[in-house]
Amino acid sequence: MENSVLLKLVEELAQKLDGEFEASLGTPVLKIKGARTTEALQAARNFSGTPCEFLHDLTAVDYPDRNEIEVVYHLTSLRGPQMIRIKAVVDRNNPVIDTAVRIWPGADFMERECFDLMGVKFNGHPDLRRILLWDDFEGHPLRKDYVTPSVEERKRLRIMQPGE
Amino acid sequence: MEVDNEKQHEADEMVKKNIILAKLDDVLNWGRGWSFWPVSFGLACCAIEMMAAGGPRFDISRFGYEVFRPTPRQADLMIVAGTVTRKMAPAVKKIYDQMAEPKWVISMGSCANSGGPFVDSYAVLPGVDSIIPVDVYIPGCPPRPESLFYGLLQLKQKVQNPAKVRLAKHGK
Repeated sequence: MENSVLLKLVEELAQKLDGEFEASLGTPVLKIKGARTTEALQAARNFSGTPCEFLHDLTAVDYPDRNEIEVVYHLTSLRGPQMIRIKAVVDRNNPVIDTAVRIWPGADFMERECFDLMGVKFNGHPDLRRILLWDDFEGHPLRKDYVTPSVEERKRLRIMQPGE
Repeated sequence: MEVDNEKQHEADEMVKKNIILAKLDDVLNWGRGWSFWPVSFGLACCAIEMMAAGGPRFDISRFGYEVFRPTPRQADLMIVAGTVTRKMAPAVKKIYDQMAEPKWVISMGSCANSGGPFVDSYAVLPGVDSIIPVDVYIPGCPPRPESLFYGLLQLKQKVQNPAKVRLAKHGK
């Protein structure tokens, strides 16, 4: 019952932000342009009755054939077990999106991971560095077109000097 | 005078029974082989088997190898137990460099030997022998504690018989 409330709220939000709305297995999914992310997240956070104020997960999916990267936000309402999914579409060649750190400080590490593995740049992030891979790693390995170097190449190890 | 002779005889017998003459290197190697001091660090699930080897069921101290040191300065054996990721590699190398000579390395498990199931990963080192020299490779995923003991005993053979190792390695 609560979920139907949420479905309606998200559908209204989709109309307001001219995004697409669908219900996937009962979970409302909102697909929007990357530029309107902050608006959508703020609106979802301030839903009346069931505010989705908990950022559950932040990740990204690569679609090379559409030349798009979708940044996916999962938001949960702490008033009950309801979840919504917001997908923000960005250009694959220049994936730039506004940060969610201002809304949820906890988005910090998730955005760093997303940048590390997918190469999505988050505008306004306080410290956008690699988090899992080492600093001089080249490329973003979770992109579909990433080619792993051969064993021989990876055996030639170069250890970073301090201060480098 | 006769009494003294008898005493001298006794002393000679004592010497025969209690004094061994040997080269200092041989004695040191003999001792080293009986008491490795491993540096205690584990990288992945192989470390769980290494801990099991240290526990009472398998009891690594039966062999005298139980003195896991928390600092590489006091250790002479490095058991690389687990997957060496590329990000971890500089730390592993640093620990190896900090150990005092003589030092040995055991590569425990498929991952440390050759990368194991993660050999195709961009982030995993294909074998720890690309950064440090390895003395004994223990196969297994993970190797059971018995395998670790067998590897340690092989290393003991290697340390105590350097001439034989040279023979096997260079055929001379």
